Amino acid sequence: MSRESAAIEKHKEASRKGSPSLPDYRGYFGEFGGRFVSETLMPALLELEEAFRLAWKDSSFRKEFYGMLAEYSGRPTPLYLAESLSREMGGAKIWLKREDLNHTGAHKITNAVGQALLARRMGKRRLIAETGAGQHGVATATVAAKLGFSCQIYMGSEDVRRQALNVFRMKLLGATVSPVDLGGRTLKDAISEALRDWSRTVGETHYLLGTAFGPHPFPLMVRTFQSVIGQEARRQFLRRVGALPEALVACVGGGSNAIGLFHPFVKDAGVRMYGVEAGGISISPGLHAARFAGGSVGVLQGTRTYVLQNPDGQIENTHSVSAGLDYSAVGPELAYYRNAGRIVFDSVGDEEALEAFRTLSRTEGIIPALESSHAVAYALRLARTLPRDSNILVNLSGRGDKDVMEVSRILEEKGERL
Amino acid sequence: MSAIVPNRSSMDKKPFRRGVSPPALIPYLVAGDPDLETTRRYLRLAASAGVFAVELGVPFSDPTADGPVIQEAARRSLRHETALSELLDWLGTIPPEELPPLYLMTYFNLFHHMGVESFCKKARATGRVAGVVIPDLSFEDSRDYRPLFRSFGINLVGFVSPTTPVDRARRIVREARGFVYYVGLMGTTGASLSITPAVRDMVGQLKQWTALPVCLGFGVNEPRMAREILGFADGVIVGSRLVREEEDPGLWEKTFLEFVAECRKAEPER
Repeated sequence: MSRESAAIEKHKEASRKGSPSLPDYRGYFGEFGGRFVSETLMPALLELEEAFRLAWKDSSFRKEFYGMLAEYSGRPTPLYLAESLSREMGGAKIWLKREDLNHTGAHKITNAVGQALLARRMGKRRLIAETGAGQHGVATATVAAKLGFSCQIYMGSEDVRRQALNVFRMKLLGATVSPVDLGGRTLKDAISEALRDWSRTVGETHYLLGTAFGPHPFPLMVRTFQSVIGQEARRQFLRRVGALPEALVACVGGGSNAIGLFHPFVKDAGVRMYGVEAGGISISPGLHAARFAGGSVGVLQGTRTYVLQNPDGQIENTHSVSAGLDYSAVGPELAYYRNAGRIVFDSVGDEEALEAFRTLSRTEGIIPALESSHAVAYALRLARTLPRDSNILVNLSGRGDKDVMEVSRILEEKGERL
Repeated sequence: MSAIVPNRSSMDKKPFRRGVSPPALIPYLVAGDPDLETTRRYLRLAASAGVFAVELGVPFSDPTADGPVIQEAARRSLRHETALSELLDWLGTIPPEELPPLYLMTYFNLFHHMGVESFCKKARATGRVAGVVIPDLSFEDSRDYRPLFRSFGINLVGFVSPTTPVDRARRIVREARGFVYYVGLMGTTGASLSITPAVRDMVGQLKQWTALPVCLGFGVNEPRMAREILGFADGVIVGSRLVREEEDPGLWEKTFLEFVAECRKAEPER
């Protein structure tokens, strides 16, 4: 074994011996994670890690967090049995965890509330964030308005175009939206620009990263906040059905809605978990965002994980019809559970996601976000292979209002009419 | 000082001795911008001017620590697919006397993708690489890789920034090899540095802890400023100001020589 793989092997071994809770003290989930950032940001990450640790131990902080989720965001979100949809598919029952019913229309608000309360506790006055589909940008702008932070959102210019409604919402909420005209002009480029801003302004600014990605402690912190999804769903399922679901399905961009749903079920051996990546047009370079299908282990934007990269190690651009899944890397904890065999990953392409977008709207009167439509599409595939009395729980991570203009444009382009 | 095995390029020069060695000028270049022939010409000029080292940037698609000027240069270079492994091959073909000591600067993914050990082997075999500058390899994560770089005699430069607490800075310089890179401002490359008492104090502090040259970089955009810095620091790194001129060799050479001339006039405090 080379010395290099020996170093990586040490991380794996440490995790197998099971520090009972991952990540380890250096932010590694097995061989994934870490803090690959410039020295300027390192002291801020260490400070953030300590502040989060103390806050989460403090019952008054947790009370404030859960209180704001209840009163401001409308938690708990319902567990909903999609009867017509299930009937039409003729297979397993499909249940939806209605994260789309959160204030601002997606699960993103939960993490934004948690981090903004933490930032206030740390005495920060300004929030910055990246956004892809605009849902995280809107969530950040919302909590900034409520808690009195100034707020700046970085968004790839391609995403500014296709998510114009969310851009307007952010501005209305008092945030500055800075279009990023670099690289593929999507989420990855917005994160790079937010990191650059943070290294200039780290004293007064908190970087409110929107997904379970980036340098430690972000993957841990975002997962902790978002785990409320899985904790509620587990309780609700046991109460309604008297058993746990056979399968969980969630779409995966960076992975916060997925790890939030999955994490409280990790030890339930009978519950299978499926992460759905964006298959885009096809699984070839630049045309998709399926990191586990077309990627390899690399280091991007603070973390060691699966990354889409070319043979020289340059990061590849991605494509997906959904801006929120259009990203070259994936959260380190999901990479860990994937390699441990606990979570199965697959991909759904643009066409199939669009089809599911329309199917759910037509059968249930629920217009899903294009991101969540990938999870719905996969659940439909899965339902056909399972017996009627089994249950699939889908994380309906967001609502589709933001996407209707883009979908209408695509349908028109294809010459289809509703 | 460290017990590293020096490789050829670092053996070519006498080790740095504060108060004896001339002040260290370290120009930064983006390899392959606008093409490798031009890079070779710049390296030759830098070698003949007797610079301490050249920080040779290898372009990466997502340079999170760089400002607009270096981002743009990296994009120009990537248009013809400049890659780390081929760059090492190319360096191996240049006569050693045409090269200054080289520190390759790029983001960790390029080393990781090639394999840190394969990189070290190949870099050492060329005999042209004194060390590496990796802005996104944190002190914490570098722990896994420091022994490897050391065993091949590749210097891993240590970064200190204005946000680094004193006790942390001390640990960083203890593990640093080659030189200490003090980032004088918060932000990305190409901003504008102002030389405050805090900057001077930190450099003075670092010099007490290490025999390695303590070099100040980020935002050094005037030759006179470089000269002023060399009054209290062992070295100065000039990046974006030179990269801005890379497309025009005439302009680059003129600006570079201005920096060289000013740096020669520097009067280090004894």
